[in-house]
Amino acid sequence: MKFYGYERPDGSVGIRNILLVMAAADCSEPVARMIAEGIDGAFSVTQHYGCIPGQMVANTLIGVGENPNVGAILLVGMGCEGMPASALGKVIKKTGKPVEWISIQESGGTENTVSKGKQILRDFSQKVSGLKRGEFEANKLIVGVKCGGSDTSSGLAGNPAAGVFVDMLVDAGGSAIMMEPIEAVGAEEPLAARAFNEEVKNKIYKMIGNEEKRWSVPGAQMEFMCRGNVEGGLTTIEEKSLGAIHKSGSRPIVDVLENTDYRLEKVPKGGGVYLQDGTHMEPMAMSFMAAAGAHMVLFVTGCGGTFGHAIVPFIKVTGNPDTFRRMSRDMDINAGTILTGEESMESVGKRIFNKVIEVASGSLTLGEKLGYDNFSVFRQDPRLEALLNISK
Amino acid sequence: MKKALMMNAKDNVATALEDLDKKTPVSVILPSQETLKEVTIKQSIPFGHKLAITGIKRGDRVMKYGEVIGNASQDIENGDYVHVHNVKSNRMQMPEIWYREEE
Repeated sequence: MKFYGYERPDGSVGIRNILLVMAAADCSEPVARMIAEGIDGAFSVTQHYGCIPGQMVANTLIGVGENPNVGAILLVGMGCEGMPASALGKVIKKTGKPVEWISIQESGGTENTVSKGKQILRDFSQKVSGLKRGEFEANKLIVGVKCGGSDTSSGLAGNPAAGVFVDMLVDAGGSAIMMEPIEAVGAEEPLAARAFNEEVKNKIYKMIGNEEKRWSVPGAQMEFMCRGNVEGGLTTIEEKSLGAIHKSGSRPIVDVLENTDYRLEKVPKGGGVYLQDGTHMEPMAMSFMAAAGAHMVLFVTGCGGTFGHAIVPFIKVTGNPDTFRRMSRDMDINAGTILTGEESMESVGKRIFNKVIEVASGSLTLGEKLGYDNFSVFRQDPRLEALLNISK
Repeated sequence: MKKALMMNAKDNVATALEDLDKKTPVSVILPSQETLKEVTIKQSIPFGHKLAITGIKRGDRVMKYGEVIGNASQDIENGDYVHVHNVKSNRMQMPEIWYREEE
């Protein structure tokens, strides 16, 4: 299987040519938004942990900027923040793609910055618009798999069909990332049985154990399953997890990608299934997966989730036939045909693979067509991590 | 006859593939679509929810996908509706306030 993508100066291949305007902190977000407004293919993003957000947020923003779907990036800062736009920009610039940064204070205020920013963005636009898509093997593809708004159809149809696709992708030399630190509680054994070696097995138990600690603090009332999960028939976290892990297929788990204040580990070359530490909350998980190098995310839903991401296209799959009937203009893939007995798991897995190749080659997902551009960033609170004695 | 899906030979619950009416027989099928047995269900069960396909004693393991999804918090009879009212997680419990909102 081949797809058509954009080769970047660092040898990575992108499937979109996004002009990204990134505000280093939310104080400069309105200016970033004003710069991006009205310029074709431009999105503005930011994070909401303030101007001294810590290394985990910096790792994510840098990784997102480095993602090959980003054709060029302009970083916007106020000028006085602890994590300045220039510091992020200097790291991202090593990819060789067009990178610039501006400070609102140095540029002479809002109007001057917006005008200067738009000029930079138009120059970027001219540069990246000339890039042509080239032909690449599927082994260059990195696809994130995530589920959300799960009901029991997710474990019986949507996730196993996604798993068939992941097996096909990995067999073709590609890579898949699954980020479900909490929705693996109760499913440690089947995951550990797929670990590439003893070290990876230990990492799997450690990642899940840490997350269980964070969500079961005595005295804190934490909801970790949503109302729709239980109304959809899911009884316990174990049942939810055992259904959720199906989407990672059956191939060996090559590694657990570290995602801490120390570093955000990227998907290495060579293909295979990776688990990534992070969060189960979808838009934030997608930013982490984008930062690790994912080109797109396959999202499996039962109740029906309608969102997207500014950097990585989001292919939506539902295993619930009723959800597909109600929301067919949001759901890219109907895996409900498995429960109605109309189609085999293998057949749906193949349809997903074909859709992934189409989307990788430029075809828009339904979410992209509707203009979804969610972006949010997550961090572990270093104080809580220390208090809970979370081992790194 | 309406159907319920059993995922693994070790399982003691199956998932309703349609809304099931109480006191009706249901055909329990395997992922291969082969019929394993018939169970007469005791209560109405919505699509995607679970029924016991054998008796499960209080404290016994509840199995789906061939793995433990929790333990029975009360005796469950063959054909009973199986959900949060009679199964508890062995790992993490949802906050009680959340269940009050459900009522």
